[in-house]
Parts: sequence; C-alpha cells; structure tokens
Amino acid sequence: MLAAKPLYELSIADAGKLLRSGDLTSVALTEHALQRITALNPLLHAFVLVTPERALADAERADHELASGIDRGPLHGIPYALKDIYETAGIRTTCHSKLRMGYVPDADATVELKLKAGGSVLLGKLATHEFAFGGPSFDLPFPPARNPWNLDHFTGGSSSGSAAAVAAGLVRMAMGSDTGGSIRGPASYCGTVGLKPTYGLVSRRGVYPLSYTLDHCGPLTATVEDAALTMQVIAGHDPRDPASHDGPLPDFTASIGQDLTGLRIGYPRHFFVNADGVSTEVVNSIDAATQQLAALGAAIDEIRIPDFELFNSCGRIILLAEAYAIHEHDLKTRPLDYGRYTYQRMIVGATISAADLVQALRLRRELATQFNKEILGKYDAVITASALTPSPRLDEFSADAPLKTAVQTIPFNVTGNPALSIATGFSSSGLPLGMQIIGRAFDEPTLFRIGAAYERAAEWIARRPRLELPIAV
Amino acid sequence: MYIQDNDALERELDALLAREGISVPPDRRAGVVAGYAEFKRMSALVRQPRMAASEPSNIYSLDVILRSV
Repeated sequence: MLAAKPLYELSIADAGKLLRSGDLTSVALTEHALQRITALNPLLHAFVLVTPERALADAERADHELASGIDRGPLHGIPYALKDIYETAGIRTTCHSKLRMGYVPDADATVELKLKAGGSVLLGKLATHEFAFGGPSFDLPFPPARNPWNLDHFTGGSSSGSAAAVAAGLVRMAMGSDTGGSIRGPASYCGTVGLKPTYGLVSRRGVYPLSYTLDHCGPLTATVEDAALTMQVIAGHDPRDPASHDGPLPDFTASIGQDLTGLRIGYPRHFFVNADGVSTEVVNSIDAATQQLAALGAAIDEIRIPDFELFNSCGRIILLAEAYAIHEHDLKTRPLDYGRYTYQRMIVGATISAADLVQALRLRRELATQFNKEILGKYDAVITASALTPSPRLDEFSADAPLKTAVQTIPFNVTGNPALSIATGFSSSGLPLGMQIIGRAFDEPTLFRIGAAYERAAEWIARRPRLELPIAV
Repeated sequence: MYIQDNDALERELDALLAREGISVPPDRRAGVVAGYAEFKRMSALVRQPRMAASEPSNIYSLDVILRSV
C-alpha cells in the first residue's frame, strides 16, 4: 500500500520497497517527477534539459523487469538526474557553456553506464556553473539555478542544479562533481546531503574535467541513506580512469542505524570560527551538532589542523594550473564565448609558473600526510563547517571580485579524503546551515554512520522548502 | 609578506599575459587583475622552506601508467 507521504518525499529505500511490492510503479514515480519539474523548473532553473521520453522508456523497462523477477539493485526504477558535465550518449551535454551548446556525445560517462545498468531512470541534465567553475552567471546560455528555500538566493556551485533539484523534491538523487567544494557547498546552501567520495572511488571518465587531480564525482541526495544507496551503484574500479581505486568495496549501508559509541571525532573549531565573515549562526549550529553527536555516544575532542589558507592556496594553484591547461586553446581563441566569471578566474592560470605548481604539489603531499597520519591516525572522523554563512543573495556578487572562499571545502579535495555535508539547522532567515564530516580514505561507511545518526536525531530533514506550486504536485 | 603596489602588479600581469599571447578584453580586465592579486598572495603561502627531498604529491609512477596500458 502507498505511503502517506507525497511521492516526491519517498526515500529511495521506501520507494524501492513499494516498487518491489507492486504498490508503486516506476512509471508513476517518474510521471510524478516530470509533472513536478514542469511546475517548478521555470522558477528554479535546476534542469537545463529534461528527457521525458528517455525517462518513461527507462521507467517502463524497470517496471517490466521487476515484474519479471529481474532486480538490478537499490536504484532500480528510481529517477535521477546528472549535472550537465556528465556525458550522455545521444543527449546534449553543454557544460552550461556557449562553447559546448551543440555537443552531443556518442558515449556515456562511466557513472551514467553504472546508473543505466542499475535500472535507474534519467530525468535530464542539470544546471552547473560554466565548466563547473564560474558563476553564478547571467551571461551564459542558461540562467543560474535558484535556491528553493528563497529564490533570490544562491544555490552554491558548481553543482547548482543538482542541489536545487534535490532540495525542491524534483528528484531524490542528482550527480554532482566537486573540485573545491562543488558538491558540499551547494548541499550546505540548499539543505541537502552531499558526498564527495574518496578520490578514486567513483570514476571521473566521461565527466568534463576541471582539475584532474582534484575532481571528484559524487551524489547529492535528500538523506544520508539515499547517498549510501547511490554509492552501492556508482562506486567501483574503472580501468579507463587513471586515478581509479582498484580495491574491494565496502557495503556502504552496513553501518547506518548504529549508534556512535566508540567513535572518536576531532573538532578543529579554530578552522572556521576565525575565518573572515563567518556567521555566528553557522558556528552555533555546528557547536550544537557536536553536542548532539556526543549525546549519541561519540567522543568529541577539540583539535587543531593546519590553517585553512594553506590548504586553500595549495588547492587553488593546482586547480588554476590544471584548468588553464585544459582550456588554454579556447581561452586564447574564443575568450568572449566564456562567461565573464569563468574567463576572469581561469585566465589567471596563464600566469602560474612551473615552480608555483611544483611548490603547491609539494605542499599537497605534506598536508595530506599530516592530516591522514596525525589527525585520522587518532580520530575516526573530523567535523568542520561546509559553508561559512547561509546562502547569499544572487545580487550580492560583484562581477570583478576574485574567487571567494565562503566555503571551507577545498582542504579535502587537496587530501582526497571523503567528506559528507549535511544540514545542521536553519538561519533566522530560514536558510539552511551545514557541516561536513571528513573520514579516512575509503571509509565512507563511517561517515554514513555518523551522518545518519545525527540526521535521525536532529530531524532537520523534516523541514521542506515552501514553494508556490501552480499545480498540485 | 611583500606587498606589491597596484601599478607594479598590473605591469607584471601584463608581461606574463603578453608572453602567453593573451589579450584580455578590456571589460574583463578588472576581474583578472583582482584574481592575479589573489594568486600572488597564495603563491607566497605555498613557498615555504622545504628539504630538497620533499617530493610533490603527483610524482611520476610507472605503475599507474602500466595499469591502463
């Protein structure tokens, strides 16, 4: 029998149970999602392309297979969407840029292949910052996505459409990418869960690169369990990704539901409380979250880690150098086809010397070694802020300002450790606040254990954005 | 930290961009100058005293190359 919740609020696990019991069809779930997209996307601009024919064909196949006793796993029959830097065979993939408007790949990204093989249902392609870097920009082929909690506010980026779509209940799972925080920042601003997995755990093949050694692919979801179920499908070795990890995979859901007894969590409060512009509401919400985690059984110790600006400088120099190398030809020959933000930020990569890059790479080894040996040698996880403030207004961005560091996420792109962003409450203005939980390499199950225990106790996920709907979906 | 005046910073930026054959569209120049100033700050931070044997994070690994051959 159908649950009392509206279909868009069904978790992936609950929808899966209903699909398998025959009380729900993937076609019904997909039609509901498509109606909701039709109603809300004109406000949110989360999708840059909706693929209803593909979605309904996927859903019909999923229903037929389940009825025939074929079960492809936890995402079978579940709708999803992809940030528009994931290549999709026969479906336009623009990177939200004038430079790629006519590009239709002839092959799928590895993640898309895995989602297809898992019986999932593609709803469409999602807004991003141009090439996952610029933004929020109004001079691109599509407008920037808007925050479902307040349409005048920024979603964060660059997985902007992914976060907006999940927060608004257009889809339960959307793939994003994270080079300096592009999953965790939007997750924090939009009140969703966002996982940057361990570097190498999810294939990057077929996802347009921004920075080869910092790029991570991962999901944005409505709950921690939804993220764990997604990892069951998308993680794994890919010989066509040179950085892909070739090792055994854990059961990502195995620790969900356990309490936190016996876990040691480090809390480098200094890392964000002294940052420029940090919001008191963010600090208070993370302090309260650590108290909640202690009440759930974890031992919390205040610790110190290297200064954020060291990580930030290291990561930004590597990112700029790698991004410029990728875009050098087009930046020189088609400068005005790039949006203003993307161009202004990316062209600076032309000025980086070989020595600058090597010094950053030497520092990267030092920071990653220190963090993994001295901190995660003692602690099961570390907690710090994702974004330093609630989401700013879209009209607060200055056209000529340098790239801001209003999110403290790049340190764990530098180290490659997994990091999970989850909501820790709401500001007085009704905007989400968040924290990130960082773990040992390939220990996502501990992050899911901590995140799910906190999520269940804090109950922030019960709160939904109040969107004015022209139709009842 | 050594602070460069704006004129010197812009001259240095112009020289580096010219070496690369890049002509920045005039209406985008202010943002590029701001981004370059930020880069210079970061560049100073990553230049710390190190032992010569302190190797970079992406040191060449033949194992990795051979894995995908």
